[in-house]
Amino acid sequence: MITARTLESKLASLYKAGKIVGGVYIGPGQEAISASLGSCLTWGHDVFAALIRDQGGRTAFGEPMLDATRSYLGSVKGLSRGRDGNIHRGDPKAGLPAMISHLGAMISVVSGMLLARRLQGKLEGVVGAASVGDGATSTGAFHEGLNVAAVEKLPLVLLLANNQFAYSTPTERQFACANLVDRAIGYGVEGHEVDGTDLLASLKVISEAVERAREGGGPQLVVANLLRLSGHGEHDDASYVPEALKNSPLGRDCMTVGENQLLEAGMITTDELASWKSEAAEEVQAAVATAQQEPSPDPYQDDWRVFSSPELSEHH
Amino acid sequence: MGEVTYIDAIREAQHDVLQDDERVFIYGQDVGNFGGAFKATKGLKELFPDRVLDSPISEDAMIGMAVGAAIEGMRPIIEMQFADFSSVAFNQIVNQAATHFFRTGVPIPITVRLPSGGTPGSGPFHSQMMESIYAYYPGLVIVTPATVADAYWMLVDSIALDDPVLYCEHKFLYRWLKADSMKGDDRLPIGQARIVRAGKHATVVAYSAMVHEALRAADSLSEEGWEIEVVDLRSVKPLDTDTVIASVARTGRLLAVGEAFPWGGVTAEVVSRVASEGFHLLDAPPQRLNARDTPVPYHPNLWEAHRPTLESISAAIRNLLRL
Amino acid sequence: MPEIPIIMPQLGESIAEATIIRLNVAQGDTVQADQEVIEVETNKATMDVTTLCAGTVREILVEEGVSYPVGTVLGFLDVTEEEAERTGMLVHAEDSSGKREGAGEEARPHFATPEGGAREPRKVEPSIRGLTVPAGMKGAHYLSPRMKARMDELGLRAADISAIVGSGAGGRVTVTDLEKFLEYVEEWPHSQASPMRLSVADSMRRSSTRPLASVGRPVCLDALLDYRRSLEPKPPLTIFLLRAFGKALAEEPATAGYLIGEHIVHPRAFDLGVAVQVEDGVLVPVLRKVDTRTVEELMEEYLDLVRKARERRVPEENIGGGIATVTNFGTFGLVWGTPIPLPSETLILGIGAGVKKPVWSEKEQGFVPKTEADLILTFDHRVVDGGGAGMLLTRLADLLQKPEKL
Repeated sequence: MITARTLESKLASLYKAGKIVGGVYIGPGQEAISASLGSCLTWGHDVFAALIRDQGGRTAFGEPMLDATRSYLGSVKGLSRGRDGNIHRGDPKAGLPAMISHLGAMISVVSGMLLARRLQGKLEGVVGAASVGDGATSTGAFHEGLNVAAVEKLPLVLLLANNQFAYSTPTERQFACANLVDRAIGYGVEGHEVDGTDLLASLKVISEAVERAREGGGPQLVVANLLRLSGHGEHDDASYVPEALKNSPLGRDCMTVGENQLLEAGMITTDELASWKSEAAEEVQAAVATAQQEPSPDPYQDDWRVFSSPELSEHH
Repeated sequence: MGEVTYIDAIREAQHDVLQDDERVFIYGQDVGNFGGAFKATKGLKELFPDRVLDSPISEDAMIGMAVGAAIEGMRPIIEMQFADFSSVAFNQIVNQAATHFFRTGVPIPITVRLPSGGTPGSGPFHSQMMESIYAYYPGLVIVTPATVADAYWMLVDSIALDDPVLYCEHKFLYRWLKADSMKGDDRLPIGQARIVRAGKHATVVAYSAMVHEALRAADSLSEEGWEIEVVDLRSVKPLDTDTVIASVARTGRLLAVGEAFPWGGVTAEVVSRVASEGFHLLDAPPQRLNARDTPVPYHPNLWEAHRPTLESISAAIRNLLRL
Repeated sequence: MPEIPIIMPQLGESIAEATIIRLNVAQGDTVQADQEVIEVETNKATMDVTTLCAGTVREILVEEGVSYPVGTVLGFLDVTEEEAERTGMLVHAEDSSGKREGAGEEARPHFATPEGGAREPRKVEPSIRGLTVPAGMKGAHYLSPRMKARMDELGLRAADISAIVGSGAGGRVTVTDLEKFLEYVEEWPHSQASPMRLSVADSMRRSSTRPLASVGRPVCLDALLDYRRSLEPKPPLTIFLLRAFGKALAEEPATAGYLIGEHIVHPRAFDLGVAVQVEDGVLVPVLRKVDTRTVEELMEEYLDLVRKARERRVPEENIGGGIATVTNFGTFGLVWGTPIPLPSETLILGIGAGVKKPVWSEKEQGFVPKTEADLILTFDHRVVDGGGAGMLLTRLADLLQKPEKL
């Protein structure tokens, strides 16, 4: 969580200093749920389709920080060699598929990865997770993806961050049901709801959902209520978010809440917290510095191959 | 002609790859015990119960699932019940499957079977040709078999390919087209066109069911002394420009025939390539013949007048020979 | 000390510029990395510009209230070497292998590395394949498809526009040139050309695509005229010429060959045409196998054909297929000319009017009167040379001295 927040703050700063081309999308306020989910998953074993506000989950899942800085800063050594950027990065073979921008589209991809594991006899003990926001619930892909996972009874955990805004559209213009978790019944999956600003509650609910899926309980829908504490991207000042909402319990910063929870429970000390933060800052600075000094993609060096099969690449 | 049909070849190819390759599975609507809307998977569920799976009516999720399974090393065959319905899966096909290798270096070996094209009475939503629209997108291979042997081998080859393939099978050919042998004796790789009839006065480039209409037109014109060369593209992407240009070099005249709608598309691409790369070979402006620029009509009388046929292709060739 | 710029960032996908609302720092101020130093406003949002490194503000180059494009350098920071290194703002030169010392973790992409490592940088090449297209050809002889289409529409051929000086690329005649020319000649008197005229024009146009040359020599006609006077009816002079030409060609058939590509196509039979002037044109009926038939045998058919030609009723079997033509323009009182062979023939033999001339005779030791005419042979110089043509004419002249053998 701390690493993610630190990294994302740095990325936002680099964007505002003109160093990052394209967008920067960060997830302040969502680190508690994202990191909770990521920490329940094992890199190279489970599957995690991260969304745009999932640096917390990516880091906790095990994504190397250089993957992020290389992707954002356009290093040719990045996973996509500069062909795609920012939060579209992924390492599919390690269980981190590379997201496309179309909301809800990754749910069925995760389901497909799980189906493959089943056909290969390797599904035992595996969980696939996908992150979505309230906006994605309005898409056909969300419906098809969750329905298919339910039909196949796949170990899918769908973490739905109900962060009150899809870009600038508030939830009342997005859906009309009283509570998104009610939809679980309609799909025949198990539903959970949690206060996404509460780190310990999030960790508990999400880890239980992951365990249920792992044990064969079928798809789990976890709805986490919280407020997006940033713009849609760093180009957006989120001036449309009402003050009252910011000051409501939904507007709490999960980082502050989480730190206090851990301090109060005596699980960490303030010194430890401070040292975690300075370690994170150093790690971030190093990853940024490395990516910054690496070469950018060279259009004359890229082979521009769109087909994996070499014989097809000869044609045009 | 023999007794092996085009759809027999499609079914048999799937049977053979399921048998030979554990990574292959079929996913689609009604493909299981029912054997598919056109019986292209008849009996396969009994033979391979774990690898022939019925899907919900969720075209988007079907392709998403296939992409996910491909990431994990499987080689899924997706049966779209009708090519027309793949529009629901458009996003997953063109944005997910097509871009994946370019973005991540991880190939997506999926084969999407698209029962395509018109049959009498099928109407606007069960008759479409989708190859042109998918060919627009980088990263997709589009094949359009026109013979029984091509139906067999191109499906086998599509599944073996590491890249996403849209296998456009023509519904009109399913049972109308018969051959003596399923595998033939003229297997060509994907990406290579075939000269199906040699000629010297004009080249007709066609694909899928239009190859047969073009051949009939060439037969009828031969009675008037015209020798028309017919090229079957076989795959529209990659497009075998070399074979097309070589044919035009022999004949000096080109007519590109497609069953798809006329705006842009495969025939436009063929004409464009010949005009830009073979301008010096042409005796006449290259011509195109497509379906009409309306939805595909239901009534057979209208349908016959909507798509290119023996008559309209013959007329187009005659016109070309006069230019 | 490294100098690090403060840059106007790209604040949104469609943003081209932003306005400076407030400068939070001034020259000489100490700043931290990631410090918000300048507040800017776009038409979408208000944002802060941050610093890339800690350091000292060397200078600020912009003013409040003014808009600047994305990418503008707003100011500079003086930064220590250590700070620039720490933040990755010092970019080290790469060695030749493309690897940099201490460059941290290696990449782990799934892409296959191209064999032989990174390739040499390529230049951008236009994606043109195949043969060069005629669009690159230069010269007035080239007619673009557009030009050809316009000419087809007007029924014009390349020769019809030979008067036009092209103003297009490489001296090409353009459609505009053509229209101007047509406008210019519009006011001149004109009449409709007859079909016969157009047919001759087409034939001559096609014929003149070849390099044609003419040679000539005089021939004494006295023996021929004497012999002819002894006959009843008297065969026209042209039949003797036809017959002699046929014989001479049969001895040297390659002379009448037709060049196509790298091959000389030889005559299958010595069928010769005879040019007959008709109203507004010329017709060329053909007599078959002239080398095997005597003057006597040819006469009836010849007279019949000339008569029918004048009535424009040449029988089907006497049209086309000739290998050379004979034309007697002497009948018009002409003594010399350069006839043009038909497009399908390599040779044409012409004869001028006989003229009585004093010729020195060794035997008589004095001038004696002789009737002479000029024989002219026009030939396709690709096939025949001047020497070959001269020998053919000499042989003809010899044959005409013994007309009774023809």
